[in-house]
Amino acid sequence: MSTEVTCSEPGAVPKLSAIPVSRRFHAILLVALAAGLCALPSVVSGYAMTLAVEIMIAGIFTSGINLLTGYTGLVSLGQAMFFGLGGYGIAIGTALLGWPLWASVPVTLVVVAATASAIGAICTRTRGVEFLLITLAFSQMFYGAAVKLRWTNGSDGMTGIPRPDLSLLGVSADSPVTFYYYVLAVSVLALLLLWRVVNSPFGSILVGIRENERRMMSMGYAVANYKIGSFALAAMVCAVAGILQAQYTYFVSPDSMSWQMSGEGVLMVIIGGASVIFGPFVGAAVFVVVKQALSLITEEYNLFFGIFFMLVVAFFRGGVLGAVNTLIGKRR
Amino acid sequence: MSALEIRNLRKAFGGLQVISDLDLRVPSGARHAVIGPNGAGKTTLFNIITGWQRPSSGEILIQGIPVQQGRPDLVTRGGLSRSFQKNMLLESVTVLENLRVACQAFDASRHSMLRSCRSFSGVVRKAHDAAAQMHLDHVLHKKVNELSYGQKRQLEVAIALCAEPKILLMDEPAAGTSPDERLNLIKLINGLSSELTILLVEHDMDVVFAICDVITVLSYGKVLATGTKVEIQSNPQVIEAYLGQHHA
Repeated sequence: MSTEVTCSEPGAVPKLSAIPVSRRFHAILLVALAAGLCALPSVVSGYAMTLAVEIMIAGIFTSGINLLTGYTGLVSLGQAMFFGLGGYGIAIGTALLGWPLWASVPVTLVVVAATASAIGAICTRTRGVEFLLITLAFSQMFYGAAVKLRWTNGSDGMTGIPRPDLSLLGVSADSPVTFYYYVLAVSVLALLLLWRVVNSPFGSILVGIRENERRMMSMGYAVANYKIGSFALAAMVCAVAGILQAQYTYFVSPDSMSWQMSGEGVLMVIIGGASVIFGPFVGAAVFVVVKQALSLITEEYNLFFGIFFMLVVAFFRGGVLGAVNTLIGKRR
Repeated sequence: MSALEIRNLRKAFGGLQVISDLDLRVPSGARHAVIGPNGAGKTTLFNIITGWQRPSSGEILIQGIPVQQGRPDLVTRGGLSRSFQKNMLLESVTVLENLRVACQAFDASRHSMLRSCRSFSGVVRKAHDAAAQMHLDHVLHKKVNELSYGQKRQLEVAIALCAEPKILLMDEPAAGTSPDERLNLIKLINGLSSELTILLVEHDMDVVFAICDVITVLSYGKVLATGTKVEIQSNPQVIEAYLGQHHA
């Protein structure tokens, strides 16, 4: 599922035999992946399931970054601010104001969208390195506020963030297996939503902006509005990941807004493959697994992870999925 | 009413006066060329007309309505579309996708976020029509970076046509093309609707003479002469400043 939207004759509905082999291969792969993910808790240990939850949360966070960076061409180092805002939003709603979770989550997302629209209106007036730095500056501002604010417990962060009440289904979200399925369901929904968006007219405009902003303006598009829209949507996706992370650890702290968090998100996009819908999840999986594996071998795992990242950039053009696509292309 | 009217236009970059007191009227349906030596202010004029640069003073009216400076998107929506001197294409997507995105700009579907772009068949059909108009229907599914240079120039014009403009500005459409590609482009441009007003900037005088019936010559940001092909070819000032004896 790449960005390229090839529109054939209008109204044409392809028969199964007419669907290209690569698409059928992708479909089979998807079904196998879905079956594997559903069966995972019954075949792996608790540690592996913990990793899977972390990968999915990181995948959603990175998908938000990918919408902005991979599809719209705006490289941001500030997306962790929205990840953190998501966590703080439900923490303030539930733990501080005593609201139920079902009210805290939508209010948090609306507040994040409004905040992101305001910040995006300023940031998207810049491009390239300037955009990267101004998003970083905003992120650091929120990080600083989170560290200093007493009513959010400053650098100690906030605890007591609830998981969803699933008693109607006869299960408890406090159980690792139930929480795994909960995160899996949210991940699938987030992916489906993003897939629809990037294949929609709105998504094609974002790709157009990435490809040639001047041309898009010349075509008659109010480019600034679409960039703000992309910024806000990406922020909401990052906030969903932040909410899940806060529920996963029952805790949120200013560290969730740190620039390292944003930087790691961008790394995951590059590793997995930018502007590919599954790229962020692949990137998150590789990132988390390689980092965990290296940390078991050596204390200097960051050094070796740096080397690993350089190798991916040098030899896997378009990230892991880009390399896979190239390989499939060569075999045909 | 003129399709395009420029009144007392001035543009200065610091102390350098690039355009001074320029007046231009282009009637509806006209094929009008703006020629002149390098640095005459042709591209600056185009950039000002299309909202990419703000004039120091003066007024531009499209179909009698003043152009909102600094908003190229609104200029296009006002009925004036342009092609660029250097290709400005969406390089990593297909020809059809370039045209579909261009056609979509004027369709309500552009706001849709949850429906596939393929489901808006009217937009796709318009993209197919635009491709056919510029003889690009056989390369619809090729990526732009796989096209020949001449085909890219055709796509430049096709994208501009997707806006269904009243006025089409073409900035050196034949620049860098081979003689065969140039002839093909001239044929395609001459085949466009006679109701479409065309303003052309071009260095290649064969292209200008083949397409346009009125020519304005710019020199140092001022109008040196305006007239028909014959008038311009025989104008001594124009011959001295730009044409030389070859085209006289």
